[in-house]
Amino acid sequence: MIFLKFLPAGLAYAFLQVVLRFKEETELARRLKAREPEAMAELYDRYGRLTYSIIYRVVRNTAVAEDLVQETFLRVWNRVHSFDQQRGALGPWVLAVARNRAIDYLRSIDGRMSAGALELDRMENPALFSGFEDSALSIDRARQLKNAFEKLTPSQRTVIELAYFEGMSQTEMADRLKQPLGTVKTWVRSALKILRDELIEAATA
Amino acid sequence: MTCDELRDMHELYSLGLLEREEKGEIDAHLVRGCDTCRKNLKDALAVNAILMSFSPDLAPPARVKRRLLASLGVKRAGWGWLGALAAACMLVLALWLGAEERRRASELADARHSLIEISVQRDRLQQAIGFLNDPETRPVSFGKGQPAPPRGTVLVNPRSGVLLIASNLPPLAAGRIYEMWVIPKGGTPRPAGLFHSDAAGTALHILSGPLDIGTLGVVAVTVEPESGSSAPTTTPVIAAPVAGL
Repeated sequence: MIFLKFLPAGLAYAFLQVVLRFKEETELARRLKAREPEAMAELYDRYGRLTYSIIYRVVRNTAVAEDLVQETFLRVWNRVHSFDQQRGALGPWVLAVARNRAIDYLRSIDGRMSAGALELDRMENPALFSGFEDSALSIDRARQLKNAFEKLTPSQRTVIELAYFEGMSQTEMADRLKQPLGTVKTWVRSALKILRDELIEAATA
Repeated sequence: MTCDELRDMHELYSLGLLEREEKGEIDAHLVRGCDTCRKNLKDALAVNAILMSFSPDLAPPARVKRRLLASLGVKRAGWGWLGALAAACMLVLALWLGAEERRRASELADARHSLIEISVQRDRLQQAIGFLNDPETRPVSFGKGQPAPPRGTVLVNPRSGVLLIASNLPPLAAGRIYEMWVIPKGGTPRPAGLFHSDAAGTALHILSGPLDIGTLGVVAVTVEPESGSSAPTTTPVIAAPVAGL
């Protein structure tokens, strides 16, 4: 698994891109909504590298990743009118669109299209990415999540990887791993609970 | 199911991976404005963003940004004399390559542009299909029996927003654009996005996002300055009553 086997330097770069900027992005969001193409250049400078990293992580093909990065930012450009520039967080939205475009591509070549594409589309709705609490996107939270991830068992890591980077439902995971659906559901939910409990514990400490 | 029972599902929900039945449970909580589930969903989206940012760091080639900005019509920043020299070299090179090479380059650029256009169109059509397939979508026709254009259908959906399909839209003057508005009953119009019609006067425009259909009165379209307006400045060319759906 490549997931989470990153170096501290990579961690700092990626996290800073996502978690520190979102409070400063009101003006950038306003310019994007005003259809200023130069604002798109700025958005790309902030999130292009991370977007490419995530998409490549999913599709493992540079040419496809390049196309999907372009598609990601054009999609953001075409939907930014619904984005809440005062309370929204551009980073999580861009990353969600990037991940979903990559998963959509992966499903299309695997013959796994169908209703899933519409569900991904719905989860890119810019209105969802507003009203985050300050603490939800912080360096501390990122570190806590990293620590929590290291507590997961190999099976739990595998299912999280399959969900986030291969876009598999629990039924599809059960088929891939040749495990009963109930077992897979237990792995997924226990993994997410470990991540969540670690965050809650850190927040109340 | 209670909010506590749904707590383990928000991450998968936000990744679009829940089975239909479980997804429906969370949808039901969100549609009725459940604050606990809304907060849990925000937390899940934040967790997703952070987890995804753990991906191994890779730098995209510079051409990715160039292609993106070219597709939006952005010209590259000038480099003074160096830019002029580069331009001259490019001109000499272009002459040397000859007309055939220029034609091929032009065709490639057109093809790339077309691909991007197709990608954007596919994106919009995918959204439209989502609207049409959703059993909660409610259609309202407008313009029927009217002597003057335009005509079409407004579709509203409590979870997905508004889809406008219009034809016979009059051509716009230079510097003008169509702007859609959602107007609550007895309320002030809320901007719902800018759009152009095509050469035949047809347009498909989408406002994405949850919508309180119970308070919605009218979906309207006006002609506005190209940068859009915060409130309508002209008489609507479309006013579709959607109250009571």
